[in-house]
Amino acid sequence: MLTQGKFGAYGGIYVPETLMPALEELESAFLRSSKDPNFLREFRDLLENYAGRPTPLYHAKNLSKAWGGKIFLKREDLLHGGAHKTNNALGQGLLAKAMGKTRIIAETGAGQHGVACAMTGALLGLKTEIYMGEVDIARQQPNVYRMKLMGAQVHPVTTGSRTLKDAINEALRDWITNLQDTHYLLGTAAGPHPFPTLVKFFQQVIGDEAREQIMALRGSLPEYVVACVGGGSNAIGIFSAFLNDQSVQLIGVEPGGHGLNSGKHGAVLSKGTPGCLHGMKSRVLQTMDGQIEEAHSIAAGLDYPSVGPEHAYLQEIGRAKYESADDQEALAAFQELSCSEGIIPALESAHALAFVKRLCAGASSSPNVLINLSGRGDKDLAEVMKHVQTL
Amino acid sequence: MSRRYEERFKQLGKLGKKAFIPFTLLGWPNREESLKMIKEMIECEASALELGIAFSDPVADGPVIQKAAYETIASGFSVHDAFELITEVRKLDGSIPIGILVYFNTVLAKGIGSFFSLAKESGVDGILIADLPAENAQEVLPAAETNGIDLIFLVSPVTTPNRLDIILSRASGFLYLVSRLGVTGTMERSTAKDLELRALVDKIRKRSRVPVCAGFGISSQADAERMFEIGVDGVITGSRVIQLAQSSSSCSSGVLKQYFKEMVGASARSNRYEHCDS
Ligand SMILES: Cc1ncc(COP(=O)(O)O)c(C=O)c1O
Repeated sequence: MLTQGKFGAYGGIYVPETLMPALEELESAFLRSSKDPNFLREFRDLLENYAGRPTPLYHAKNLSKAWGGKIFLKREDLLHGGAHKTNNALGQGLLAKAMGKTRIIAETGAGQHGVACAMTGALLGLKTEIYMGEVDIARQQPNVYRMKLMGAQVHPVTTGSRTLKDAINEALRDWITNLQDTHYLLGTAAGPHPFPTLVKFFQQVIGDEAREQIMALRGSLPEYVVACVGGGSNAIGIFSAFLNDQSVQLIGVEPGGHGLNSGKHGAVLSKGTPGCLHGMKSRVLQTMDGQIEEAHSIAAGLDYPSVGPEHAYLQEIGRAKYESADDQEALAAFQELSCSEGIIPALESAHALAFVKRLCAGASSSPNVLINLSGRGDKDLAEVMKHVQTL
Repeated sequence: MSRRYEERFKQLGKLGKKAFIPFTLLGWPNREESLKMIKEMIECEASALELGIAFSDPVADGPVIQKAAYETIASGFSVHDAFELITEVRKLDGSIPIGILVYFNTVLAKGIGSFFSLAKESGVDGILIADLPAENAQEVLPAAETNGIDLIFLVSPVTTPNRLDIILSRASGFLYLVSRLGVTGTMERSTAKDLELRALVDKIRKRSRVPVCAGFGISSQADAERMFEIGVDGVITGSRVIQLAQSSSSCSSGVLKQYFKEMVGASARSNRYEHCDS
């Protein structure tokens, strides 16, 4: 490898020997393509004309009034596919083509990344196979159907907790077996180097646009930038543009599940400890023996017992803070954005909203907050209907 | 460094034999049966032992070992229990080389220093960390040296020449040749692909004296013989051992004994391939 991909003590490469050549090949393709004007032009073109970038920055006045803040939403929910995942899938899809791969595989939790890959596979003519935990298949049916409609094959994963973590295991096993013709299109800023770095590269468009848009709109930076954190890709995408703006507080919101002391949550940065999973060193939820524990969240896309290594690092150096919102708070915020603004957020994004509600309630003067609205909630209706019977 | 691997391979070499190294997961299906199974390996004259510590997310393993790992963890068998079991195994045989196969998080959770010293105390000779590439070996090298434990590394058919150099510069005990792309398991092998491995084995021979043992998908005498034919010093079988144990009521039943004997037999007959290693 030419680069290390370390974020302080976190990140790096911890994979079986057989995967090393694939990671070396990916690193060299990424180093080449990320400086290649033709590659970048093609990526930009797809983002603009296929996916609909730039996405708007919207001043949510009704919600601001209700909660007592100045709330701006970066509308990744309006991106083609319904979530920020499209940015990364298109970028890595082009990279797969550049490497001469004919097949892409991916894990998915909420199904948004699976959908983004299915779109990309259809668009670029790549055979697409998606690994998805059985539990997630049951709670994200519409997305499973969308993937199939766009020609992807969906493999149910029946091992372990049957959620995102296990889908990643299966995708890695597939990759180990088929690395010659296959690119593993990992969906979040986690996993072995170079994934955290290249996913951030493809997602930083969110932060770059948002920073420009809010400067144009208000003439000043926000006090807070808030995003939900599963593996950490939408968060690192929006944080990246503000890392050097010391006045801006960066806050990642993890899933509190049934509560931080319930043992049923996915708050890895609040409750986890340093460890090694899925090819990287980061923080993980684990037992004393290092067995990985199951995460829990009402939002399938946040149901992951580790987190991207750069977040572990940003927390350690104090540049970003990580809070949590539990299932109930997320459900409430889901409904509040829906009725106050007519925008149905993804349950994942609702965690960021829920935290901001708390932030506003505790603030003496109304804070300026930029929220990454990472996706839309159409996929979540069946799940929400289970929990919220009366409207 | 441990001397047991070195001595065992020297001994086998003198007799013109190859090594048969069976694998099982420590504590599977339970402590007693696991001990019986390992005892059987020793009694059938296995050349060395490869013992796995169950990890919740074993990405290099196929369905058979995954399931066994899952069951072992669910039964409450801990890493501490695993080392205790190794201590008992060591009492049964003072000279057989014992290697353990682990994932890095298991090592990190105990702390690298304590993990290696626990391993030494229980009688372990070699440690293979399945998800620690040779580039990162320096993280565990001091602990390995302090405790006189061999670090076993994987080499695969797609390992590039400069990575092979890094691996060979750190390897001791033996080199674990991943004999086909993919995870552990018992799927059909391709004879043509197997024979292609000869070039890799030759390349390793030119650069290093460390013995080479092939694993991943080696199940039968025929698989083993083909590996000996391309010049390896030994074979490792895992998934097949666990499958056989699953299908028989007790781990000490005749099925496993017969299998171990067959594989040991194939390894002993291997002097017809002697021309391959010089
Ligand atoms: C809408 C949405 N937001 C957030 C996430 C969490 O992923 P990440 O933390 O990588 O942004 C997902 C994952 O599926 C998602 O679908």
